[in-house]
Amino acid sequence: MRCGDFKESYREDEEIFQSLFVRICLAVLFVLLIITPFVASSYVLYIMNLIGIAIIGAVGLNLLTGFTGQISLGHAAFVGVGGYATAILVTRLDMPFWFAMPIAGFVSAGMGLIIGIPSLRVKGLYLCIATLAAQFILEFVFVHWESMTHGIRGINVPAPRIGDFVFDTEKSYYFITLVLVILTVGFARNLVRTKWGRAFVAIRDRDLAAEIIGINLFRYKLAAFALSSFFAGIAGSLWVGFIKVVTPEHFPFSLSIQYLAMVIVGGLGSVLGSIFGAIFMTLTPELLNIFVSSAKQLFPGLDQFFIPLKEIIFGGMIVTFLVLEPHGLAEIWHRIKNFFLLWPFSN
Amino acid sequence: MKKRHFWFSAMVLAIAIAFSAFAYAEDEIKVGAVQPITGRFAFAGVNINAGLEDALMIANEEGGINGKKIKYIMEDGQYQLDVAVAAFKRIMSRDNPLIMYGESTGLGKAMSPEIKDRYKILYSSTSFSSELADPKENPYMFVPGPTYADMFGILLKYIAKEKPGAKVAFFYSDTEFGKDPIEAARQMCKTLKLDLVAEEVAQVGSVDVTSQVLDMKRKNPDFVIFQGFVVDPVQTVIKQCRDFGMKTQFMGTFWGASKMVVDNLGPMAEGYMAVNPYMYWWNDDVPMIKKIKAYTAKKYPKVTYRDNSYMQSFMTGLIFVECLKRADKAGELNGPGLVKALQSLKDFDSGGLSAPYTIKNNKFPVARVWKANTQKKILEPVSDWITVE
Repeated sequence: MRCGDFKESYREDEEIFQSLFVRICLAVLFVLLIITPFVASSYVLYIMNLIGIAIIGAVGLNLLTGFTGQISLGHAAFVGVGGYATAILVTRLDMPFWFAMPIAGFVSAGMGLIIGIPSLRVKGLYLCIATLAAQFILEFVFVHWESMTHGIRGINVPAPRIGDFVFDTEKSYYFITLVLVILTVGFARNLVRTKWGRAFVAIRDRDLAAEIIGINLFRYKLAAFALSSFFAGIAGSLWVGFIKVVTPEHFPFSLSIQYLAMVIVGGLGSVLGSIFGAIFMTLTPELLNIFVSSAKQLFPGLDQFFIPLKEIIFGGMIVTFLVLEPHGLAEIWHRIKNFFLLWPFSN
Repeated sequence: MKKRHFWFSAMVLAIAIAFSAFAYAEDEIKVGAVQPITGRFAFAGVNINAGLEDALMIANEEGGINGKKIKYIMEDGQYQLDVAVAAFKRIMSRDNPLIMYGESTGLGKAMSPEIKDRYKILYSSTSFSSELADPKENPYMFVPGPTYADMFGILLKYIAKEKPGAKVAFFYSDTEFGKDPIEAARQMCKTLKLDLVAEEVAQVGSVDVTSQVLDMKRKNPDFVIFQGFVVDPVQTVIKQCRDFGMKTQFMGTFWGASKMVVDNLGPMAEGYMAVNPYMYWWNDDVPMIKKIKAYTAKKYPKVTYRDNSYMQSFMTGLIFVECLKRADKAGELNGPGLVKALQSLKDFDSGGLSAPYTIKNNKFPVARVWKANTQKKILEPVSDWITVE
């Protein structure tokens, strides 16, 4: 008699929902996510929206960096392209947000294609610098193409609406974010199980060998850039609809680094890792803030000491994680899962 | 597994401590603030935070708001928009204060629709941006002095009086902060019949300003007004202009009116002027400065100087306190009541910290021109209070 989790084919091995238990867990999670906005405060929902936007951006970057091995330091600029494209389409052409968002994604993807062209010839650090250049060029365009971007003053964007219903609170916007997170994560998770995903991984692991077995490097590298930028564009669009204003200051180089940190801390080459990384990088500073503001109440007059402390703790946590677990949070998650799966033979 | 327990425990502990801190007394009036304590603006942020807190705590010592005590709630916004917005929303949902103070123009712009339609609280900030002084768009927001455009107006008025028809140049940064007053200043030049000969743009902190300086040398302005820089490249520009033998008079707006600028310029500060709506730490004859010094000696014995950014937030604190008192007296201690109180401010006496304050379009467009004294390393007034109509 069979027992346990027993697989007989590659198809079964690659299933997303591996067992009934996983399906039940995900269903419970989904229900919790639906209930959350009705019980949480506007601040908690603000953070959840931020996490959702970060997840979409991080999944996009992980497709490029984690799966295809192309390091990008210009991700924030692509988020910016999506944000600006949305703002311009909504304010100039009076286009509904729902149409502007996918178009913004494609505009961003187009920009990603252009930036991705050198990726066939340049690799590693050289590609890093090429994408860094993209970050600064695009930032320069945001600031100086005043007729289009309103320069440093930015553009005010009306909140998305359906008929008379306006998505102008954290609670209502949360549902837009949730739907998009499910769509993008679902898409990415499925993509990496297809021929495309396997081609990405082959390129990452050994591009020369990948080419010998017939993978068109140029096509797949460009596709990875376009996909990653598309995700970034959607994240940017979502951010602009949420915050209702866009200025060049929203997409600094430090945001690119933050996205890179998300995928490294979460786990390179793992969609789940992107989610963990985005949650960690968004939530931890906030928890530290709460901790610091509470500590201030308990030890009045020590503000100057406590406030910089959170930066040190956050930096220390990231370093500790990377030293103790170079494969990121996703690997820790796998280990916890295996502990229970293999129990009582875990150790 | 042990690691997981550790993180879980740490998180639970943090949340527990956070909730334990939420037990506030009910009869308090809460004033919230998002301050740039860390990040790019931290050099001023610490001072700005101290100024606002001191003004509120002095009011508490003097009996509070008709007997009610003020509680000051501050969080760090790091001068980063997403962090600042998060801190703003955290304070709003946790403490629901009557008044908020923000750390940047960006935060004010981002929160403006929600302040107007949802939170309905009195709001002011570190920013002198004209965009935030718009009673139609932002009825709940005010600028605690003149806007940057007003400051340019004050300097240009001074120039027009000292040297009619003078040649003027603007030297501004490539940021919102730099560009904010420029369009209004161009119009002002036309009105005052001043000759705007050059507009130079540079990056904040840039060191290579040779091309801009050469252009100014060709156009030889009598006056150059800096906007949008805190320190660099002001020093480099002045030095290079002096090396070329130019006799130009240099000027700055509020952030160029700090003692730090005069200290950094050293002997090159000779003749440097700046516009500032508030009195300085060294103006000992001013009653409010005396009060500030006495309070500082008592609360922060190690502090020997407070810059003009402190005075700005202190002034904002005085306006907050006055609005709270008036709204409380009228029995309207809420956002709309505070706005009514704000609009009723006429010749408000700040103990000499500035000229009597009268609100006009959600700002107080009055300041004076100060000139650097390189011997004493201070700025001294060279004009009376000038009001921009």
